[in-house]
Amino acid sequence: MIMGALFSRIRTFLPLALGPHPQRELTLTPRGGFACPPRGVAAGALPLALGPHRLHPNAAAALGAPAKRELTLTPRGGFACPPRAVAAGAFALAPGPFSLRSLCERRRREQAPMPRGGPRGMAAGAALLLIASGFTAAASDGLDPAALLKPLADSWPSYSGDYTGRRYSALTQINQSNVKNLTLVWAARLTGGPGAGGFGPGSPAAAARTVIGGEGSGDIAVAGATTVKGAVLMVNGMLYVTAPDNVWALDAHDGHELWHYFWKTKGGTHIGNRGAAIWGTYLYFVTPDDYFVSLDTKTGHERWHKEAAPFSQQYFMTSAPMTIGNHIIVGTGNDLDSPGYLMSFDPETGEQQWRFYTVPMNAGDPGLETWKSLDAARHGGGHPWLPGVYDPETHLYIFGTGNPTPAYTSKPRGEGMDNLFTCAIVALNVDTGKMEWYYQTSPHDTHDWDSAQTPVLVDGDFRGSGPRKMVLTASRNGYYFTLDRRTGEHLVTSKFSETVNWAKGLNAKGQPVREPAKDHHIAGALVSAANGGATNWPPPAYSPDTQLLYVPTSETYAMYYLSETDPRGAMGLGGKDEIGVGTMGSYISAIDYKTGNTVWRHRFRTVGTTRGAPGLLTTAGKLLFGGDVSGNFVAFDPANGNVLWHTQIGQVTNAPETYMVDGRQHVLIAAGDMLYTFALY
Amino acid sequence: MKNLGAFPIVSFVSFVSFVSIQAQQPQPPEPQFDPAAVERGQQLLASQCGFCHGSTGRGAASGPDLTRSELVQNDDNGTQLGAFLAVGRPDRGMPPFDLSRAQVSDLATFLHRAIYFASNRRLYKILDILVGDKQAGEAYFNGAGRCGTCHSPAGNLRGVGAKYDPVTLQGRLLLPRGRPPNPGGPPPPPLYTEPTAMKVSVTTPSGETASGALVRLTDFEVTLYEASSGRMRSWLRNGDVPKVVVTDPLQAHVDQLTKWTDADMHNMTAYLASLK
Repeated sequence: MIMGALFSRIRTFLPLALGPHPQRELTLTPRGGFACPPRGVAAGALPLALGPHRLHPNAAAALGAPAKRELTLTPRGGFACPPRAVAAGAFALAPGPFSLRSLCERRRREQAPMPRGGPRGMAAGAALLLIASGFTAAASDGLDPAALLKPLADSWPSYSGDYTGRRYSALTQINQSNVKNLTLVWAARLTGGPGAGGFGPGSPAAAARTVIGGEGSGDIAVAGATTVKGAVLMVNGMLYVTAPDNVWALDAHDGHELWHYFWKTKGGTHIGNRGAAIWGTYLYFVTPDDYFVSLDTKTGHERWHKEAAPFSQQYFMTSAPMTIGNHIIVGTGNDLDSPGYLMSFDPETGEQQWRFYTVPMNAGDPGLETWKSLDAARHGGGHPWLPGVYDPETHLYIFGTGNPTPAYTSKPRGEGMDNLFTCAIVALNVDTGKMEWYYQTSPHDTHDWDSAQTPVLVDGDFRGSGPRKMVLTASRNGYYFTLDRRTGEHLVTSKFSETVNWAKGLNAKGQPVREPAKDHHIAGALVSAANGGATNWPPPAYSPDTQLLYVPTSETYAMYYLSETDPRGAMGLGGKDEIGVGTMGSYISAIDYKTGNTVWRHRFRTVGTTRGAPGLLTTAGKLLFGGDVSGNFVAFDPANGNVLWHTQIGQVTNAPETYMVDGRQHVLIAAGDMLYTFALY
Repeated sequence: MKNLGAFPIVSFVSFVSFVSIQAQQPQPPEPQFDPAAVERGQQLLASQCGFCHGSTGRGAASGPDLTRSELVQNDDNGTQLGAFLAVGRPDRGMPPFDLSRAQVSDLATFLHRAIYFASNRRLYKILDILVGDKQAGEAYFNGAGRCGTCHSPAGNLRGVGAKYDPVTLQGRLLLPRGRPPNPGGPPPPPLYTEPTAMKVSVTTPSGETASGALVRLTDFEVTLYEASSGRMRSWLRNGDVPKVVVTDPLQAHVDQLTKWTDADMHNMTAYLASLK
């Protein structure tokens, strides 16, 4: 076998061999033993057949006659609004309450300039000026980046819905008084791969809609790659869904597929994709073999793709890009010893605008004194696995960085040295990519517990000191932090996992201090948490109504065995073997940002699973949505964690989202390769 | 804190079962490295490169770790490496090397294999974990550990040190839920048929009580297995109706998880391993 072929196989093989995974994975085990039949509103009607189905018996009645709305596709596959360029014959709308006019009027509303005043008026106005300079005709026909500055309500235009990362929607149509009547609107199964498509296997029409791109040979098929583990964007009545190597556009009204894009991969870790970004009519996503790809949102046709990281060095990309003004920002991923970085791309051309390395790369770089050597720093990891948040007032992009590498055998990084800027919250000027401040949440991490969790921006009172602008994060290491987001000043640290035992206490900066005996040991160290951490990529949510941060939490134990005694250590994640002991439970933890105290926890009662809880959504309807660890999708009371509604749909694999379709609030959730939307009728 | 104390269930499962599920997923074949080429490459590296880069290529005082070199990682069967070696890096004191194409290929094979082994955590093996003091372990067994409440060396722990390898034994010491892993063997029986399964009793508003092994429990349903009838029984749950009480025969092990010191655990492992 020639070496070239050999090593492309290694790249394909290596990551698949890795076990429970950091930040890029939610551990899933098949439900064991006996399972109760699904019940709830959709009982017996769950769409196990391929393709989307309209299921709710009342849906048709609510829409008026005829029962099934039709929205004819334009020749290019999308649907477009005629006012700007009326294409006669391209639209055939059935009568009924749904109207093209309402759709287009809504679109125009979304394109309207930001309203002045209001809580964020000043900041939004300033940011709008910034954005205007980079805004072109392409954006005027799709998602105006200025729309991303709005509080989260009618659409879901970015990874967290809006720039705050709160996942708090202003929508109230679904609320505590009526959530018990929530019912299924539609469900759709996603089919990936080169010949995939809409309404059934083997359908020529469906296959024709798949646009194929990529640099690979097309002979690498990765099983299970269609699981949705990220955000679904909802813009102008369209849903944009991603999984590794796949992007789908669906009609938000009934879930039918409008186009599908498949990327022929060269390999790499296909562990998940956190979603797409949109700027105007352009969509962006990244691939496991390290390409930054742009598509036309209407047709799925590729505009271009750019190499974003060297595949030969085992980078693999999973993050969701973020649109901020005329920047598209995305971070790297890699488990091998390599530097992490964040890149900003030009939305039109894909040219790189700036790159920020999360570790020192050159003599004289800040933070170099926290590494044993420049060589160690340059191989030091710190990958920004997840999208960050954005503060338009200060132009700061704030995000979390990953663990240092080698992850476990840490001596080559310098015994006890901090290893900046790994495992930290970092704030960059979004226009220059220059760091304004940082706060490290795990100095010298030794457990592969990244701090890449998407942080949350909150404006509020802090201990009577008046309004304060803060950033909150609950880290995979089991500790919670409140920081001042203008300066990075530390305000609060607390332990939100009761079992984590890797730290001796806190230092003067509020950072947990590592207990080296709990790194790993030849004879085994009993450590909490297991590799998955106290929390992981599933996003938290914050409600300004309760002033609580809701965090998916797992309490686990594992034996950590040192298996590499060479003082030069291993590479990447090598040198340590881990055997799970068990889980003490999975929870939603509700944390008070002023004190760090956990005000309540909802325990997911379960037997025989090690799953962590999926991501969360809060709404002004005084609701907290999330999946449990047993296949239920649940609405909670955010004040106390009481259950208000649930339905069994299979294990939830992303965070819920909400938006409006034709005046009706929808709640969207993914379970594996299935999407479900719920509403009131 | 709400919802914590009301329901004293602690759920466990061995992660080992997760690992075995992972292993069933289809994977590309493992890369093969020609052993003769590896051997030749290692000798070549030690004689030609070892003075600066160490005899294994992992770096020395005057030369960097070659397995972390981007040039080596990007190399394709010696092509890039050979071009580099023909010139060297005179500005940093590295002379050119006159090596044949076959020699460079051997060197590349050795280095690529070294990268693969250093970065693939699956290929590491747990070392000798029996470092504890078995006398101290025995004392803990009879003293602070209160293990004698349920176990005795001549009774249910007879021969346990011969039954399990040390790592499995340590895992069983911490939490002996279900069967130990048996790679390649038949799938284990369901957890709820094991003596260590959690028990549950369900009392309906009419006063009927059923009990058995706990199969499934969520906020919305409970399922138990009645060994006597071989039947599964399920109830929907609405808050505290029906009344559900879970007991765990392994509760002492669960409670102990938060109490173990690593030294006590190592000593206990050594003691149990001595019970051949």
